[in-house]
Amino acid sequence: MAAIEDLVGELSKLPGIGRKTAQRLTYHLLQQPRERMNRLARVLDTVAERVASCPECGNFCEGERCAICSDSRRDGSVLCVVEEASAVGQVERSTTYKGRYLVLGGRLSPLEGVGPEQLRIGLLRHRVGAGEVREVILATNPSLEGEATATFVHQLLAGMGVRVSRLARGLPVGGDLEYIDGVTLSHALEARQEVP
Amino acid sequence: MNVQQVHATGFRNIGRLELDLPREGAIFLGPNGQGKTNLLEAIYYPVLFRSLRSARDTELIRHGESGFRVRLDLTDPTGPRSIEAGFLAAGRRKRVAVDGAEPARMNDALGVWLAVAFLPSDVALISGGASERRQFLDRALALSDPRYLRNLRHYRAAIEQRNAALRKGDAPSAAAFDPLVARYGAPVIAARLAWAERCGPAWRDVCATLGEPMAVSFAYRGRPELVDPDAWPAALADARGRDLATAATSVGPHRDDLTLSLGQVPLRVAGSTGQQRTAAIALKLVEWDTLAEASGSPPALLLDDVFAELDRDRQDRLAARLLHTPGCQVLVTAPRPDELPDALHLPVFDVIRGEVTRRTAPRAA
Ligand SMILES: [Zn+2]
Repeated sequence: MAAIEDLVGELSKLPGIGRKTAQRLTYHLLQQPRERMNRLARVLDTVAERVASCPECGNFCEGERCAICSDSRRDGSVLCVVEEASAVGQVERSTTYKGRYLVLGGRLSPLEGVGPEQLRIGLLRHRVGAGEVREVILATNPSLEGEATATFVHQLLAGMGVRVSRLARGLPVGGDLEYIDGVTLSHALEARQEVP
Repeated sequence: MNVQQVHATGFRNIGRLELDLPREGAIFLGPNGQGKTNLLEAIYYPVLFRSLRSARDTELIRHGESGFRVRLDLTDPTGPRSIEAGFLAAGRRKRVAVDGAEPARMNDALGVWLAVAFLPSDVALISGGASERRQFLDRALALSDPRYLRNLRHYRAAIEQRNAALRKGDAPSAAAFDPLVARYGAPVIAARLAWAERCGPAWRDVCATLGEPMAVSFAYRGRPELVDPDAWPAALADARGRDLATAATSVGPHRDDLTLSLGQVPLRVAGSTGQQRTAAIALKLVEWDTLAEASGSPPALLLDDVFAELDRDRQDRLAARLLHTPGCQVLVTAPRPDELPDALHLPVFDVIRGEVTRRTAPRAA
């Protein structure tokens, strides 16, 4: 049946979901009351409609700016640079960080066609160039590409008069920030080291 | 460590095989094309979980089968062990098991089963290009030390990213990978240099034992100063213009070589066929020493048609050397018994159309 196949196809494009899981989810949904399926469709529609990238930091937001950028109590002198918006939530949940963020929207990977133009490098330069930022914390993932991204940003900011620091080592090798527990992340942030 | 039993299904021309192997080793006889090399390839498969002959996994599947499976029951000083590898054409799925359990990562299964294999084509170690010798070094060192393997993998990944950036003419992105290239490249060079220093004399001695009277030597060809990660920025900066022009990284262990010489001349040009073959076998025996030392247990030796093209004297010397390698299981193939030196006393098996049977009568047949 084409409609079922379409849903299975869409679900199996999601990360971590293979064809079998997609089929299981589809059959599960088909057994639900119709109202439940309609609600899911509406929620998806609303998210697609309302959620956009914050023009100041690249984080997800509903409305003009994200909640963090709109919060005047946040410390604008510290900027935490992360790969994905999901990392913002992670830092927020598990640390006492009170500065601001910049979401690059990926990491440098020339092999996959991701160069500086595919990332929010221009926005980063603009934020730092505006003068308020005193310290940039590089919180990219401790993967090969995450490290290279941190190096790239560091070289980019050289001579712009900001202190640049990197999350302290000891994060699991190849691990994403998302998989690091709160205690480790909190420690890594506090023990961050200035990159010379 | 040695193989007590080989279980193989659907591998090359082997339909189904249950084979008991003697502790000291075996001779496999049979006309070419009957499956002698396939048998060694199956036994070697769980060393690297890939083909000894660089074939793709799908090419290893017997015609008409959905996949292949190889399990070796091993005897180890610590007790019985087993290693298993299976591959299914559908979804190209590879499964590995150590002592019956699937390890968290395939890398964890490396080093459990160690063997050194010699194929007639391995004379390319001497006569072929630098990549043959780099592959030799990388295999010996990766199987000896998991840290080497990790550094090498990260190094290669960093070089690939760097080269991709160079191809786009994106110098700043290429430079962002420089510290990683340095961090992982430096220990790779250090391990290779240390190996070359340690094993150069050993190789010379083995060559002499195998009947090569002239002075042979090897030297690592590369930039020894790059064992220090701090030496890399200058080296990469110097090469930047050239690297951008050629869209490839021109410094680092992926460009290095092992220079093998006979007297003052490269063995590649100076050596006779017999000399080159002897030198290649000697390198394999040094690989054996390297793995034995690292693992604390003698690996098996798998020798495919190794005695061909050696004169009688060199054959006898090689046989003597093999028989005097304590604890080593030696698996040898030959098309005919008269191609083997008399001194090589090992149980004999016949290989015909992928079936292996032990002879009860002595090997002259
Ligand atoms: Zn924002």
